[in-house]
Amino acid sequence: MTTPSRLRIAGGTVYDPANGVDGAVRDVCIEGERIVAELPAGVPRLDVRGMVVMPGGVDIHAHVAGSSVNHARRLLPEEHAADPAPAPQLADGPPARSGTGGTVPSTFATGYRYAGLGYTTAMEAAVAPLAARHAHAELDDTPIIDSGFYVLLGNDDYLLRQIAAGETARARDYAGWLLGVTRAYAIKIVNPGGVAVWKGGDGNGSRNVNGLDDAVGSSAVTPRKILETLAGAANALALPHPVHIHCNNLGQPGNFATTLESMRALAGQRAHFTHLQFHSYAGERGKGWRSAAKDVIEYVNGHAELSVDVGQVMFGSATTVTADGPVEHLLYTSSGRKWVNVDIELETGCGIVPYAYRERAAVAALQWAVGLELFLLAKDPWRVVLSTDHPNGGTFLSYPELIRLLMDRAYRDERLKAVNQKLLAGSTLLDGLAREYTLGEIAIVTRAGPARLLGLSRKGHLGPGADADVTVYAPDTDRAKMFAAPRYVIKGGTIVVEEGQLRRASAGARLAVRPDYDVAVTKDVKRFFDDYASVAFENYGAQ
Amino acid sequence: MSAAARTVEHVTCLGCGCACDDITVVVQRGRVTEAQQACALGTAWFGDGQVPDAVRIRGRADTLERALAEAAQLLADAKGPLVYLAGDISCEVQRDAVAIADRLKGAIDSLAGTAAAGVLAAQRRGRAGATLGELRQRADLVVFWGVDPGARYPRYNTRYAVEPVGLAVPAGRQGRRVIAVDVGDARGPADADGRVAIPPDAELDALGAMRAMVQGRAVPPDGPFGTAIALVQEMTKARYVAVVADAEPGPSPSDPDRAEALIALSQALNGPTRCALSTLRGGGNRSGADAVLTWQTGFPFAVDFGRGYPTYRPHAGAAERLAAGEVDAALVIGAPATLPDSVAGRLAGVATIAIGPRASAAGWKPVVAVDTGVAGIHEGGTAFRMDDVPLPLRPAFDGADVRSAAATVRALRERLEGAA
Repeated sequence: MTTPSRLRIAGGTVYDPANGVDGAVRDVCIEGERIVAELPAGVPRLDVRGMVVMPGGVDIHAHVAGSSVNHARRLLPEEHAADPAPAPQLADGPPARSGTGGTVPSTFATGYRYAGLGYTTAMEAAVAPLAARHAHAELDDTPIIDSGFYVLLGNDDYLLRQIAAGETARARDYAGWLLGVTRAYAIKIVNPGGVAVWKGGDGNGSRNVNGLDDAVGSSAVTPRKILETLAGAANALALPHPVHIHCNNLGQPGNFATTLESMRALAGQRAHFTHLQFHSYAGERGKGWRSAAKDVIEYVNGHAELSVDVGQVMFGSATTVTADGPVEHLLYTSSGRKWVNVDIELETGCGIVPYAYRERAAVAALQWAVGLELFLLAKDPWRVVLSTDHPNGGTFLSYPELIRLLMDRAYRDERLKAVNQKLLAGSTLLDGLAREYTLGEIAIVTRAGPARLLGLSRKGHLGPGADADVTVYAPDTDRAKMFAAPRYVIKGGTIVVEEGQLRRASAGARLAVRPDYDVAVTKDVKRFFDDYASVAFENYGAQ
Repeated sequence: MSAAARTVEHVTCLGCGCACDDITVVVQRGRVTEAQQACALGTAWFGDGQVPDAVRIRGRADTLERALAEAAQLLADAKGPLVYLAGDISCEVQRDAVAIADRLKGAIDSLAGTAAAGVLAAQRRGRAGATLGELRQRADLVVFWGVDPGARYPRYNTRYAVEPVGLAVPAGRQGRRVIAVDVGDARGPADADGRVAIPPDAELDALGAMRAMVQGRAVPPDGPFGTAIALVQEMTKARYVAVVADAEPGPSPSDPDRAEALIALSQALNGPTRCALSTLRGGGNRSGADAVLTWQTGFPFAVDFGRGYPTYRPHAGAAERLAAGEVDAALVIGAPATLPDSVAGRLAGVATIAIGPRASAAGWKPVVAVDTGVAGIHEGGTAFRMDDVPLPLRPAFDGADVRSAAATVRALRERLEGAA
């Protein structure tokens, strides 16, 4: 079948939660690149009777492109050798490209594999402004999916100086300028202040910050002030997605207190807290770990202005890659694995350690359980998005298995018995959480919810005017099998997956914002560049 | 051709891996007359901006159309095609070149082969690094390990690690201590504040002893590595150490394990203090080739698409394949003058296509030669600094007069992709 400009996806069972459709049999009509309300009789039909129809998946947080991801790729030749990705045989268009997989696939393999999973949009979660041009080039080589990235702020020296000087308005204008000049989609904060301290910013020999009120260089600059400044900036700039926060103390026992304090610090403001699983542990360093999932998710449940993604840990290979340099140094020293650190001038850091989560390992089992608890105790699926922080907690290819864990209690309980129980005391999972996600809820946490949280009004739903991004699954009681191999995937009106095979590879679009700001700030930024930067102000960014 | 001078600011120079982006280039009557701020290497790299404009098949002038047809035929018929990414091309051209190798199920390699020891060591261990500007902000101790950047990376010290003021080093050069480690003939800068001499045959052991010391193991200070131990003690007391080493081949052959020992030492130093290893790379956007190959294939150099997908053959790169007679057609994209002898010297016996700056002047007599402009002088795009920082290229010429490498390579790619 070639791709017609009009198509009736006929007779499927539709899950379109944004439009209140929860498993109703109806047609979805496509004209060009958009969904339309109706089409005349006689247009080409795709008969999907008995199948499940959803909007294309939307990944709100993954590491798929850019300088850190490429450092990780370079570090993993053995994984790439073990997972070759020959070029798919396409029905038409230019020839497809080959590549390699593993936890950090090559760009073409990334695009094809996301599409093969029914995902049509993915957001790269952490790009240093200095390397924005690189991230765009990689996204240009990532086919099919629409994509954008979050630009790293919150450890950058220019911003910290503005906070120290109490220049909140200038900080906001700087953020607005930076988003535009890097063609980014949202503001990302990683370990606010902690990366700056790791790089030596405070001059006292500290390696990281521990709490919200630790000084970062100047006593006027603290993680709390950084969070307040940037959350305020994102909201004042009316960005479609609020500030996207990786809290302090990632992966540390007892860190749930910091997480809750960070949430309270932004009370009443929109904010997204990412890979919450890695920030929901009780206990104390050297004295054991426990789950604090219940405390954290209950706070989220009660605060409609907050959203989160889970960052589920899945058993198997992973690669930890983050701007959180000090965390990766700890992981390097404790795991003895290979380690990359790159300090990025005036801005941020980058750390990488390949890793594996094993069922028999106590901490990995706890992390796995904490993630599931967060999902199962969440009251509002619209604000709790499915993610593995790919490739940190596991790769995006493990999403179908995660969906099965959420939808199938018997399977989940069976898996729970097989994992190391040592640190699970106190986990609500042991109390027998009975909840099973419905298909409608899966449609929320994998597409409708993230699209809404990203402010992507044409994504994540199937109403008239929406982008014609549609995924069709053949139902299977094994939900992992069902979600791993959609029967059809339509991206922007093009049928990219047909009878389970990738058949077309259109180019994806770039999602970026261009907020208004007072351009007077650029004069001051340029002065700072002239004094300290190693690249010309005029050559910065990705325009 | 206009007689009026054309001035372009913030030009990125690809004369070496420093990729200084503060050059002002003046063009008058079709010639580069000035490259302000450029060092001697950069000035030579810009030259007068004149490049030949030939298209040749077997040495005779011909049309571009016929040259591309001949090139496509040669490559499509080859049993062992090789694509080689030489210097002075943009990342955009490199991306199309990898697509060509993928289409041909051929091998592809780049100038990274000359720095393979360092790449492989970093794949085994990782690395502790920083962008050059971060060394400028932080480093209070700079250790040049068997290298003086003065000759091959002339502005490294003035722009990055040594002289400029940084946020944590407001006094600039006065706020930093510079140590030269002389490993035999491979000497550090003459104006260093301190010197340590290590015989080449003791280098690895010295690095090992230094690392042991950092990791808290007892190393006798009066043993054979006394000066190295004294140096590492100084390093652990610094706030932020920059270790600078050359990744490109030096005056004397270095032990292949040396790169790994330097990585291991710099990683270990991040226990007691902070440390970054800065590995110097040459020019022509060779770091861009590593980056592009990595994102498109998963491997940084020496990639073979023979099985229909990328496999990594770090010990069977272009030089080894040519030596073994496994290559029957080679597509060299970029400036032939940048090729290492191990590759250039073996191309004469192979059917070659050269597309790039001064391709028609290649000593190995390409079957097809298409001259193009130089990335960063005649055409734009992106290039990577030696520390993987991407920079835009700002051509001083407006491009109308010089054939573009990007358009030429894209046209060849489209021809090959059109042929099913």
